[in-house]
Amino acid sequence: MEDLANFAIEHALSNGAKYAEARIQRDNGSAVMLKNGNPEVSSFVKKHGIGVRVLLNGAMSFASTNILDREHVSEIVSEAISMAKSIGSKYRKDISFSHEKAVIDNWQVNPKEKVDSIDFGERFDILFEIEKATNSCCSDFKIPNRLFILEIEETEKLYANSEGSRIRSKVPRNSFTYILTAFKSGKGTAQRINQKGESRGWEATKDWKLNEFIIDEAKTLGKILNEAKTFPAEKKIDILLGSEVVGIICHESCGHPFEADRIMGREAAEAGESFINLEMKGKTIGTKVVTVVDDPTLPNSYGFYLYDDEGVKAGRRELIKNGEINSFLHNRQTASELRVRSNGSARSEAYDKEPIIRMANTFMDPGDYKFEELLEEVSNGIFIKNFMEWNIDDKRFNQRYVGLEAYEIKNGKLGDMIRNPVLEITTPGLYKSVDAVGKDLLFNAAICGKGDPAQGVPVWTGGPSIRLRNLRLGGLSG
Amino acid sequence: MNHEKLAKLIVEEAIKRGVEDVAVLNSLEKSRMVRFSNNEITVVKSWKNLVTNLMIGKKNRVAVSSFSEISFDKIKNNIQDLVKIAESSKPKQDYVSLPTGPFKYESKQIDENLSSISVSELINYSQRAIESALDEGAKRVAGTLIFNHDDIVLSTSSKSFGRDRTQSLEIFVRSFITKEASGQGISCSTNKKDFNPDSAGLESAKIAKMAKNPKIISSGRYDVVFGPNIFANLMNNVMDAASAFNVDAGLSFLNDEIGSEVASSLLTIIDDGTIVDGPNSRAFDDEGIPTKRTEVIEDGKLKSLLHNSTTAKKFNTSSTGNAGWIAPSDWNIIIKEGSCSENEIFEKLGKGLYITNNWYTRFQDYKNGDFSTVPRDGIFEIKNGKIASSVKNIRISDNMLRIIRNIKEISDRRYWVRWWEVSTPTLTPYALVEKVGITKSVF
Repeated sequence: MEDLANFAIEHALSNGAKYAEARIQRDNGSAVMLKNGNPEVSSFVKKHGIGVRVLLNGAMSFASTNILDREHVSEIVSEAISMAKSIGSKYRKDISFSHEKAVIDNWQVNPKEKVDSIDFGERFDILFEIEKATNSCCSDFKIPNRLFILEIEETEKLYANSEGSRIRSKVPRNSFTYILTAFKSGKGTAQRINQKGESRGWEATKDWKLNEFIIDEAKTLGKILNEAKTFPAEKKIDILLGSEVVGIICHESCGHPFEADRIMGREAAEAGESFINLEMKGKTIGTKVVTVVDDPTLPNSYGFYLYDDEGVKAGRRELIKNGEINSFLHNRQTASELRVRSNGSARSEAYDKEPIIRMANTFMDPGDYKFEELLEEVSNGIFIKNFMEWNIDDKRFNQRYVGLEAYEIKNGKLGDMIRNPVLEITTPGLYKSVDAVGKDLLFNAAICGKGDPAQGVPVWTGGPSIRLRNLRLGGLSG
Repeated sequence: MNHEKLAKLIVEEAIKRGVEDVAVLNSLEKSRMVRFSNNEITVVKSWKNLVTNLMIGKKNRVAVSSFSEISFDKIKNNIQDLVKIAESSKPKQDYVSLPTGPFKYESKQIDENLSSISVSELINYSQRAIESALDEGAKRVAGTLIFNHDDIVLSTSSKSFGRDRTQSLEIFVRSFITKEASGQGISCSTNKKDFNPDSAGLESAKIAKMAKNPKIISSGRYDVVFGPNIFANLMNNVMDAASAFNVDAGLSFLNDEIGSEVASSLLTIIDDGTIVDGPNSRAFDDEGIPTKRTEVIEDGKLKSLLHNSTTAKKFNTSSTGNAGWIAPSDWNIIIKEGSCSENEIFEKLGKGLYITNNWYTRFQDYKNGDFSTVPRDGIFEIKNGKIASSVKNIRISDNMLRIIRNIKEISDRRYWVRWWEVSTPTLTPYALVEKVGITKSVF
């Protein structure tokens, strides 16, 4: 396959491209789905092809095909060249890439157990056990709707560019998605949709201990239906947020607005822009205990990679450091425009998608507090452990998280369950309310969407528990 | 190998390997995209993909696959793998054999001028959209133009065979006057004649100009006129809820209570895979059943869910021609027009809000319909039926059933909408909805 990548690059250069890259990517995935105890489907997907990106006269173009022979690769390269040439100078963005070292490397995540070592029947058996475990805890409520999906995949890439980089990689991933809808007459429904995911071999799925895990989840839904009460929104309170909520906050209101392509307007028509501008670097956005990090290199992480899809070495990026805006996520284009180095944030979902700036694993750096210590200093508040509904505006300034499992806090102790508490708050309002950060760092898996055509890439979102002071709940009565 | 022949060979090969049901959907997709921002073209992209989608049923076990091999030897290996997967899987309790054909499919003409559109023309359209917005006063213009052409062949072991071509040309343009004042315009068509990038650019800039100097309003319940873009997004969510798979999975606020009143009597929402100018119209569904027009909600009453053969058996009804081998899904969403003009709908609103667009619709609970979504681009306060000021930083926080029950007027002119946040093409008018929950950040 390296021959085909070399051929694509040579063909592009000989036709006038100043820069060319080729990425041959194979994604093999399979899944089993159990719905309400019924085996719905087994599936596999094999996606294999080449994507070529060129710079010519400052214009950028991207073309791809899954027909992997010289004739078709030549055709798409010619098309990429022709497309770049078709853009008149009046409306052409003059694009250049930051200077980065050419790399020749070969990296992979080595599974202890191959992800496809378990046959489909055994995978269904695992889901049947999960189904049984779920139903076993429905004593005084029902879970009439249950959907479980086990997925595995393996991504293999060859990245090559006209500067001499040649990088091969191979990453296995596992994920488990579950949707539970609990019901109790007179109490309505409570729903949980969530996912686990890691870049590991099949051992990851084993380590998740899914039966015990799902029993906890199901029981919690029952408790919500049986016990949870509404909480007066007008009261001033302190709020503890659990890892799952902190993770989505860091992803939505730090990771996304710190993407340099958003800041500079490239995604304006779809995913939007950012309330952050370039001049805000170094300004205070949160309290000193707030440090938010994106790190693709976390072992086992769902968003794991060592080189990005522009061949740049990845590493830890501190987006907010001790409450200050510290760094943005860059690809080679935004880095060149701002005369900095790329920090390896370009990712592509598949061979047929252009690499764009993405997060990998975004989380709040842990602090010193035990959870009990965060709790004991709250006299009047609530603890929101996890969430269902969330969204944020397209500048990433106004956000909303509606809690699922949540508790009242009275005099340093967890009390009654609270139904659907709404945290509706601005980004600075949130980060400037954090007075303490726990040490209980945990991660949650998700698929992050961005770009056009939309690209979903695996990420972890994470954080420890944190404490926010002197807030009010949002929502319609707030 | 031409992909009609390929589809037939795959069916034959799978039958040789002992499967009882097999369906192949081969798609040869050619697409081009021009993206622009800050008044400049940032990238031009093209795709040419041949994808084979394969479903087999063996001893009540179902396995599906998608792959992109062109060598028949490799395809044979994939068929063999899929048969093995089916054999090692577990039987589906509600297994249904594929519907028996052959069926008669309506042939449709496509605009051959559009099929052969050049990159230069696409770039020219994008430039015209930018110019049109700048001429109207926009400071910064962003957007995306997409041309899709898909040549699809379906072949099944139950004697269904069909070929269809679908194509569309779409642009959405977002103009900015300031960072907080933006507007969106859309043009979406299956032919060159009705495609109008200039009007998309113009519309986006007009809204952006009106959106200057936005103010903050209080949380509360407001009467709201929804423009076509946001109403299309909301109706996409209603149609998702009409998929029988989602009803069965607990991912729907609609139950299988056919005949029940679920919405205002003004709302009629139809799925139509046959409409001539529908960007997503197709002659047959993935099981080979001819697509049709299905009233999902008629005059406020739930008339039908969307079904494939499996969900139809489970719900004791017939397929609506919306397969999806796993889940039924919609083709084109058609909202029946109302009787009042756009001016009249604002007069009837009198006092309230006009919201042009939104994004990020998320549910707290799909089963009960509690959700929120974030308005963007032009949001306006209306007084005496006229725009009084621009508004910012609000969120619609409500329940989807409550929204569709509170529809008080629907306008008489409709627009095709498809863009990043509206995946199913939707022909939609404006709608006036009473007492919509509006919230905002507390801190």
